[in-house]
Amino acid sequence: MSVNANSSQLSEYLERLPGTTFRRLYQQPSTAFAIFRRMLPHLAKTIVMAMLYMPTPFLLSDLEIWVKPTAKRQKDQALSILRALHIIAVTVPCRETPQSMTLTANFKSSLRFALEGGGDHNSFGVPSQLPIAADVDIAFLDKYARKKWDDILHFVVNSVGLIDSRSDGSNGPKASVKDLLMAGRLVERKGASSTMNITQAGFTFLLQEANSQVWTLLLLWLEAADHANKEGHHTGMESVDMLSFLFLLASLELGRAYSTDALTEPRRNMIPYLVDFGLIYIPHHDRRQYFPTRLATTLTSSESSLRSVSAGFTAASEGMGGAQDSNAIILETNFRMYGYTSSPLQIAVLALFCDLKMRFQELVSGKLTRQSVRRAVDMGITADQIISYLATHAHEQMHRVAASAKKSLLPTVIVDQIRLWQLDTERMATTNGFLFKEFDDYKEYISVVTFADEIGVLQWRNDRKGMFFITYAGLSQVKDFVKNKNKEKKAGK
Amino acid sequence: MPRAIRGVLIECDPSIKSIIMNINESEANAYVIEDLDDSHLVVQESKVQDLKRRLDDHLKETIPEIDRDSDSDRDVKQDKKGW
Amino acid sequence: MNAIDGSSHVEVNATGQTPSLLTIVIDTNPRGWAALKDTLPFSKAIANILVFINAHLAFGNDNQVAVLAAHSNKAVWLYPKSPHSDREPNGSTDGDVEMKDVDDDKDRGNANKYPQFSAIESSILSSLQSLIKSTLPSTLPPTTLIAGALSQSLSHIHKTSLSFAPPKASTDPAAPSTAVTLTPSQPTLHARILIVSVSDSEPSQYIPTMNAVFAASHARIPIDTLSLSQHCSPTFLQQAAVITGGVFLSAALNPRGLLTYLMFGLLADAEARNSVTLPTQDSVDFRAACFCHRKVVDTGFVCSICLSIFCEVPQGAECLTCGTKLALGSYGANPAVVPRKKKKRKKALNGVMDRDASGSAAGTPVPG
Repeated sequence: MSVNANSSQLSEYLERLPGTTFRRLYQQPSTAFAIFRRMLPHLAKTIVMAMLYMPTPFLLSDLEIWVKPTAKRQKDQALSILRALHIIAVTVPCRETPQSMTLTANFKSSLRFALEGGGDHNSFGVPSQLPIAADVDIAFLDKYARKKWDDILHFVVNSVGLIDSRSDGSNGPKASVKDLLMAGRLVERKGASSTMNITQAGFTFLLQEANSQVWTLLLLWLEAADHANKEGHHTGMESVDMLSFLFLLASLELGRAYSTDALTEPRRNMIPYLVDFGLIYIPHHDRRQYFPTRLATTLTSSESSLRSVSAGFTAASEGMGGAQDSNAIILETNFRMYGYTSSPLQIAVLALFCDLKMRFQELVSGKLTRQSVRRAVDMGITADQIISYLATHAHEQMHRVAASAKKSLLPTVIVDQIRLWQLDTERMATTNGFLFKEFDDYKEYISVVTFADEIGVLQWRNDRKGMFFITYAGLSQVKDFVKNKNKEKKAGK
Repeated sequence: MPRAIRGVLIECDPSIKSIIMNINESEANAYVIEDLDDSHLVVQESKVQDLKRRLDDHLKETIPEIDRDSDSDRDVKQDKKGW
Repeated sequence: MNAIDGSSHVEVNATGQTPSLLTIVIDTNPRGWAALKDTLPFSKAIANILVFINAHLAFGNDNQVAVLAAHSNKAVWLYPKSPHSDREPNGSTDGDVEMKDVDDDKDRGNANKYPQFSAIESSILSSLQSLIKSTLPSTLPPTTLIAGALSQSLSHIHKTSLSFAPPKASTDPAAPSTAVTLTPSQPTLHARILIVSVSDSEPSQYIPTMNAVFAASHARIPIDTLSLSQHCSPTFLQQAAVITGGVFLSAALNPRGLLTYLMFGLLADAEARNSVTLPTQDSVDFRAACFCHRKVVDTGFVCSICLSIFCEVPQGAECLTCGTKLALGSYGANPAVVPRKKKKRKKALNGVMDRDASGSAAGTPVPG
């Protein structure tokens, strides 16, 4: 369990893509660069860099020598990620030549371009030459992005029904964003009434930190576009190009204007959506330039810098209702929880799983209790979600104490207890599948049950009763096995 | 020739299982397909949600809420082991 | 979620990459580079080093870099620029400002480069150009002032690590009870120094260099060295690498492969060094320089009180550092005709020490 879980959605999405898609993605240097920076573990980065300017393929036996034996696990993990992301190609083992690996051609040339700065790929954004309005500065962009994003989060939180829908002049997110949230089943319309209800996925979304929330929404968007294209609707957008554009946005500089004229047609089509998400800002008077906001430029940042980024966000949004993701939760071993926040949004989220007792200016205090956690579990929030929320929003002090004492970030007692409270409600486990019984003889039973066990679909067996239970997915294989057995038997007779 | 019966395998404590068997009896054996052993049984796939709901209701009635101390604000003794 | 397994406590740790600060000291000795101009021109070397810097920054966006030039008569900041560079008194101010403007324009129009990279590149190139302009042929000692550059980079690392260290536990100084004592076991910043050397170690700089090296060793900052020169070997930098746990690589055989040396051997930061094998030195030159004439000596005299090294007996047998009157025994006395053969001298000569290549680093002196 680590805070690092948030980059996993993106890697899951990426790992599902076929190799040809990767080849196209890696044509753009900023994509290769972003994937290198964001998706790879440290040792993998070191290996890639060592190979980048190596004229010959890297022998696996050499790698074995280079990496210390103590780090074998990290090495294997690094290699499997590199292979899954189609960054390296490993030769097929054969007797004559030793196994070696090379960087895939597109990735290699793109990463070289990114480091050397050559070529004419324009993948780091074409800056706008037009004059910039004086009031568009970093503070303004932060404020703008925060407002847009908080609107989206408020929309999701309001559907819980715990807090009154506030009216602070915002009309909530655009209809397209609402549709996206519904398509992604983060919220759903219950029955005929127009009230929105949050789903379990919605809670997961809510309890993530801002950066993973942005990615969740963007990936939903990519999938929606893919889906629409498959059904023959012409969206003018294609997920590979969209992804490339997102990586491009991530490499831009905050507070700088970029030219929309230099964008291709499909990318210009994406702009309205990105404005709705709060990733970019387009001034009203001049639609030929766009400004990336902090949400966009930190898309590929590492976790530790995100902490400082959200701190910057907090500073920027002071005096406008507080921030949602200031890292301000202190959790004590006596189940007391203190949240240094005055944001209604964050208080609402905390209220989902915590008994809030007192509220002061910029501080709420409460307690994690069996009831409060069970209430959350009943709503569909899992213990893991609560724990990871507490961990991602832990106060700097918690990090400091944990680092200096070399202890885990959250008190182990609390983490275990939250899990136990969840287990408390889980009195049973269910598995869909098939029960096999009434075998002709014991020998037949044994051979089938052994087969089911070997292919890993066996859930329960009782040799005395001659019955066993297999998972749903295992039926066809076991069925074929039984049929073959019968044929053999008949042939034998 | 063996028979394959579609269903849902439920794994639970014997105590929970006995509650399920009770519910089953009261509903004229509409739920359970096969009683496997002390902690396993197979039920109708279509009835699982219904069974879960009834089990939950039953548990809420029988199991008392343990911690009622959440209203008190006194200090709980700190567990030093956790830190 | 189906089993209560009490044995596996789930630890919730914050895993983030610790930012890493790379300080590069480029030896810009004109004579050294002139000797290399057939195999590796200076411009090409700088281009390679820039790629290396970008590679370091690519590891994570809170990685930092600082670049210094150790010139023949001074140490100059190339990046980040020192805040005083604009009012440098040597008259190159106008040229500096002009250059900057040109670079900024070029920078703004370049869509093929990561903005951070181009900012660093233009800063380094413009400072280098002004450095080269200000270098006069008359002021050219054959060696480089590494020690100054080292101490400047150590100060910079210290300053940066302070800004990376978590803020004081309590903003209220009156309430120190909540303060957490940070153990150095979990550094918030990995810092290291890389020296790209083309010249020999200057014996006259022995003491300042070694002082910087020990300071670095104390602060757990490895000093890596890449030596490019064929003719000379930077003795003190070899020792620096050994003392601080850094890497000493000699690219003298093939200076053209500079980038490969850098990317393979020297890119790994403290985190990666836990898991990869580093290039090692087979022999280390442990010779020290004497305190009196700044000569590198194999065998010399050591003050028994302050461990100062002398190549010859100091005047009046008085230590130049601490002023102790040294008992030389009968060293230097005229070899008298020995009347009795049977009497053997067992004791070693007082104050004579042997420091050859197999010696240990432990005895290197720190004056004061």
